[in-house]
Amino acid sequence: MATMKFYCDAERCIECNACVTACKNEHDIPWGVNRRRVVTIKDGEQGERSLSVACMHCSDAPCAAVCPVDCFYTTGDGIVLHDKDICIGCGYCFYACPFGAPQFPESSAFSSRGKMDKCTFCAGGPEDDHSSEEYKKYGRNRLSEGKLPLCAEMCSTKALLAGDADVLSDIYRKRIINRGASAFDWGVNFNNTKIQG
Amino acid sequence: MRIHTLIMMVCLVLSVFQVQAADPSVDPPPPPESLLSINPGSELWREVRQRDGVVEGISQVKSPGANVLVNVSGQSWREYRMQELVPIAGAAILIVLVIIAIFRLLRGRIMLENGRSGVKILRFTTSQRAAHWTTAILFVTLGLTGLILLLGRKFLIPLFGAEGFSNIAVAAKFLHDYLGPVFMLALTWLFVLFVRDNIPSPKLDLQWLLKGGGLFGKHASAGRYNAGEKLWFWLATIVGLAVIISGMVLDFPIFGQARATMEFYHWVHSVSAIILIVVSFGHIYMGTAALEATFEVMKTGYCDANWAKEHHDLWYEKVKDSNESAPQSQAQANTDTGQRESADSAY
Repeated sequence: MATMKFYCDAERCIECNACVTACKNEHDIPWGVNRRRVVTIKDGEQGERSLSVACMHCSDAPCAAVCPVDCFYTTGDGIVLHDKDICIGCGYCFYACPFGAPQFPESSAFSSRGKMDKCTFCAGGPEDDHSSEEYKKYGRNRLSEGKLPLCAEMCSTKALLAGDADVLSDIYRKRIINRGASAFDWGVNFNNTKIQG
Repeated sequence: MRIHTLIMMVCLVLSVFQVQAADPSVDPPPPPESLLSINPGSELWREVRQRDGVVEGISQVKSPGANVLVNVSGQSWREYRMQELVPIAGAAILIVLVIIAIFRLLRGRIMLENGRSGVKILRFTTSQRAAHWTTAILFVTLGLTGLILLLGRKFLIPLFGAEGFSNIAVAAKFLHDYLGPVFMLALTWLFVLFVRDNIPSPKLDLQWLLKGGGLFGKHASAGRYNAGEKLWFWLATIVGLAVIISGMVLDFPIFGQARATMEFYHWVHSVSAIILIVVSFGHIYMGTAALEATFEVMKTGYCDANWAKEHHDLWYEKVKDSNESAPQSQAQANTDTGQRESADSAY
């Protein structure tokens, strides 16, 4: 069994927001809901970096811990999914999540929260694979087709990686080595690579 | 040749001086610049992890908190809710129920010492009772639905299953969300009608409290409301205000409240609600099963003269001669609307 993870390489992300757009398009996500977003820190300053964030599919997921109706479950691939038939839209998962992954469409009177929506790692939900109910509630189930999440698959700079944690760390390790890593710079400083580790 | 030798010797001498200069008492020469460079990666991840306070970035997604990479307050809120709130709330409720049960076993039902007199005295007007029962029904509904949402996962999912409990929780959340603002109006109404007689009178109230409110024996002197009732009134008002304000912030998440704001108000809401719930158990027990001839007072608005003499002696002295204590029986009291209306206006 694999342990599915996302990794975003801050040295490669160019803040093109294509992952955000691709995700919205692939899963037909309603207005106001963004399963993935790109955050840029130090915008316009030295050391500006961008990272694409969505649900990180935590091993000890805070959303699952605080959910009052226990609607979360972890698949055999380590993907954290939730059952929208059980969700009551209380918003607690959003308070607890470090990454701001849970999203709530506005529904009914007084703009109360609808059922929570979040990144499924393109793995659908508890409904039958490829059923129309599954698509309506959770979007495309790419994983069951043998495909990885679209955001990572179409990332133009391959900054966003998705897949088995072991494979991802191997890829990232190779990148670090090829960038001229030094014992002192840990491979992320291009200015001072005089002393090679 | 000689010049070269001279230079070499000078170099040698200088190098000796350099070795001497490496004395530990003198600062060592600075390391090469490349060694001193701060790893920009560590700075990046420190900012991502928000180690030095919240660092906000920018994002094309414009929802509240979308520009923050890692919400660090979430973890402490999770720990508060799961490791403190749920167990402490459960324990507090259980402890108060046990205390009430022990009190019941020790004192039994507290009867009127001289039995009923049959003379009825008006104690609560129709509008006061309406305000009380509206607030009471809303309070019980909000308390129950709140406790279902707080403790249901632990106690109700094993009974009903996750899907069965989800239906209960949806109903609970719906009632809780919509009745909360109504409770605000009801509590305001209650406050306006009851505040006049709940102004503390320090000497009398202190005496009443020192006697333990007559819970453990002799009756303590009291006016229209005793110190216990006044304490409950002011607790319900002040803590109730905290519940209402925090509840309104939580109820309408459409004004861009940040997660930290919601977590803080959830803390305020849960702590104050649990305080109100456990104290209300005492109020409910005292008003219903604990004392003979007490429940009927808020039910009908009229109390027995002997009940008034025993529990609110000073108030009884004041009202016994007034015309408000006219009706002689409960049935009469319920039909005699004209009487009640005039009594209403008197209040």
